[in-house]
Amino acid sequence: MDASEREQYRAAIQGDREAFEVIIRTHSRTLFAIAYGILQNREEAEDVVQDSLVKAWKMRWRVRDPEKFPAWLSMIARHRAHDVFRKRRPDFTHETIETTEVNTPETSAMDQHLQSALATLPELHRAALTLRYFEEMDYRTIENTLGLTNGALRGILGRALNSLRKQLRPVFASTD
Amino acid sequence: MAIIHEEIDNWLAADVYGELSDEEQRQLHTHLVECVACRKTHQETKTMNKILEETLTQQKPDPSFEQRMLAGFRNRVPERTGLLKFLADLMRMRAAQVTAVAAVLLGLVQLGRMVTGENAASPAAPDRYANEQLFEQRSQVAATSEPARAGALGKADELAAARPQAMPLQAPPPPSSDEAKDKTESFAQAERTVVTGSNIATAEEVGPKPAETPPSALANRKLIRNATVELEIVSFDDALQKITAIANDERGYVATTSSQKQANGKLSGEVVVKVLPENLDRFLQKIRKLGELKNQTLGTEDVTKTYFDTDARLKNAHVMEQRLIDMLKTKTGKVADLLQVEKELARVREEIEKMQGELKYWDSQVQFATVTISLAEKDMEEPAAFLIKERSQLALYAPNVEKIYNDIKALASSRSRGMQITSAQLNRDYSGRISATMSVLIAPEESEEVIARVKSFGRVENFQTQTERIAQGGSGMSENAKTKRDKVELNITISREEQEQAFQQTSLRIRTSSVDEKAKDLRAVAEKQGGRVRSSTFSRDPNGRELANVWLRVPMKNYPALMQSLDSLGKVENVTVQRQDRTGTQIDEANAPADISIQVYSQGNIVSHESGPLATLRRTLAQSAGAVMWSLRMIGVAIAFLAPWVVAIVAIVWIAKRVIRARRKL
Repeated sequence: MDASEREQYRAAIQGDREAFEVIIRTHSRTLFAIAYGILQNREEAEDVVQDSLVKAWKMRWRVRDPEKFPAWLSMIARHRAHDVFRKRRPDFTHETIETTEVNTPETSAMDQHLQSALATLPELHRAALTLRYFEEMDYRTIENTLGLTNGALRGILGRALNSLRKQLRPVFASTD
Repeated sequence: MAIIHEEIDNWLAADVYGELSDEEQRQLHTHLVECVACRKTHQETKTMNKILEETLTQQKPDPSFEQRMLAGFRNRVPERTGLLKFLADLMRMRAAQVTAVAAVLLGLVQLGRMVTGENAASPAAPDRYANEQLFEQRSQVAATSEPARAGALGKADELAAARPQAMPLQAPPPPSSDEAKDKTESFAQAERTVVTGSNIATAEEVGPKPAETPPSALANRKLIRNATVELEIVSFDDALQKITAIANDERGYVATTSSQKQANGKLSGEVVVKVLPENLDRFLQKIRKLGELKNQTLGTEDVTKTYFDTDARLKNAHVMEQRLIDMLKTKTGKVADLLQVEKELARVREEIEKMQGELKYWDSQVQFATVTISLAEKDMEEPAAFLIKERSQLALYAPNVEKIYNDIKALASSRSRGMQITSAQLNRDYSGRISATMSVLIAPEESEEVIARVKSFGRVENFQTQTERIAQGGSGMSENAKTKRDKVELNITISREEQEQAFQQTSLRIRTSSVDEKAKDLRAVAEKQGGRVRSSTFSRDPNGRELANVWLRVPMKNYPALMQSLDSLGKVENVTVQRQDRTGTQIDEANAPADISIQVYSQGNIVSHESGPLATLRRTLAQSAGAVMWSLRMIGVAIAFLAPWVVAIVAIVWIAKRVIRARRKL
């Protein structure tokens, strides 16, 4: 983290609105990736990002160390997304899948399989995957963003890919 | 290699995501060449990555996503405008934060003060208010009634009062020859004189002030000067003569003298001398040399204004008188009117006389300064005589209080003149103890003899005498004052001997085989030595041990003999002696009581049922049975505590087993 970045976080913590808006511009995609990874739903993920930003603005004085500001933002988004995920009614997932089916007829069967395969992964694994594919972050950045220890991501992504691979093997077979 | 094979998923994922170092990549490829299974997995992983890339990229937020987020944020958190924004920006500065905290603290402190009722709110305001009021009052008083201001003004108010004062002062036309003088100067003068005038009470410090005023102005002022001097002199008559001589020198005269004689033959008095004001200072200096100056005050009273006021009024009255006389001369009008004029004329004349008298008085006062000299001869306070007062306290112990009480009474009646009982009291309390207190006045010449007689009635426990020299008609030392002895006051308290605390306390033990007999012997020995048995006990315990306690009291002089005779009774053990030396009191040591507490005891010789082998065996058995019972009870308690837990654990294990079995069946 360079000095100007840190200065920006510090200003934002102290209530500089412009600095915070710059942070919104630079970080909301990351937050979206996390939220989407957990929720697998764009609308909900957007709402989560929105809520998280507002909450972060209101609670900004809680952050003592400006360096930790991005990780803190991600944590808020993760918790918020988790809350939303838990509050879903049990049949909600199926409903959304149906609606997506109806609304986007071009969605391939592969997409649907992938969706359900992703749904079986732990939240953290999903968030890591989306961060990787959406933002093309390297392992180190993802680890920092999600608050993981160094080297933990390697195993996580390995297991995630393995799990997806196993679930989608029949589909491969059919498509090949 | 084995590691790669086992963790192939992680390796492949890292490979796909470009997170492998060159070395690692080389290792992986080497392994892939060797391992078929891993090669397959590698293929699948690549496909998987492709699918994920394709699918998830679709879900990436659109380019306007940030804008949307920003808009949403702005919508939900409206920006502060105007003052609020300014305040928020301000609060971001460190200095502003510190200031705000300080302000809040200060506010809290003020609030606390208000709550506790401490009056901290700007003390200046009520003060100023009070000052204003004072000023108003003073100026009103000054304007209306002149004499009211004469002494009581505070220093701060004087100046304030002086200003309005100056105006009326200027108004009456001062018949000054220097009228031509500058107006401002006269204004300044007026102001100064007022200050002087109102200060008369503490004249000394203002004393020199009139001297500062220019002589031309002084000549027209009516100043009354007076002084008081307090002197201590050797001889009153001598001093009076000298004062008269000095007064004559300074062209003054002695107005009055008064003197009085004290009990110790010293004279004191007061001399009032009138001298010319201009000679006053010189006169005072001469007077001072007559003796030791104790006190001196010098005062000046300015009566200029009142004097000339009265003078002007007098002139008016004269004019009025003339007109009334003229009226009577022309004799027109009714008789009643004439009578009225006559009456008025009488009143005016009376007034004129009064004013003339006043002026004359003032003239005399101004003409001569008054000096009041208080004279007192040295050693005024010297006492005329001394009285020696003697007070004695006597505490007596006697076997028969009542007898001594009556003896003292008889003694008093036999010496009717030399001894007098002022109070006598015989007390007997509920436990039969008897004591007496008496107060006696004895003629000084007989006191020694009487006190000696009274002392011989009983045993003196305490005797104290206080002598006091009381100066009469003054204080301090005097060489030639007479000394007289007053009657001696003697307070006697008589108590029974029994109550007296022993001078010496001894306790000892005697071992003997026949306790009862020896105790009886002990009584005999004590009686032979003039002692008394105060109390005794005898007991025998179940082991056959006998024990007798005897408390004796003998006079100190017989104590050694008694101790010697005790040896013949048996083996004396554990002797402890405690002596109470009473310092500062005269006591008769030979007759002072000594207490001896003696314990006569024997060794037990009867075997009781509580000792012996059988009893010991029984006790041992009983004790061991008790111990067994105790441990049984403890075990019971432990079981009672543990049992519910054991039951609960067994139940849980049983249920768990059932559940597992049921699951397996499913």
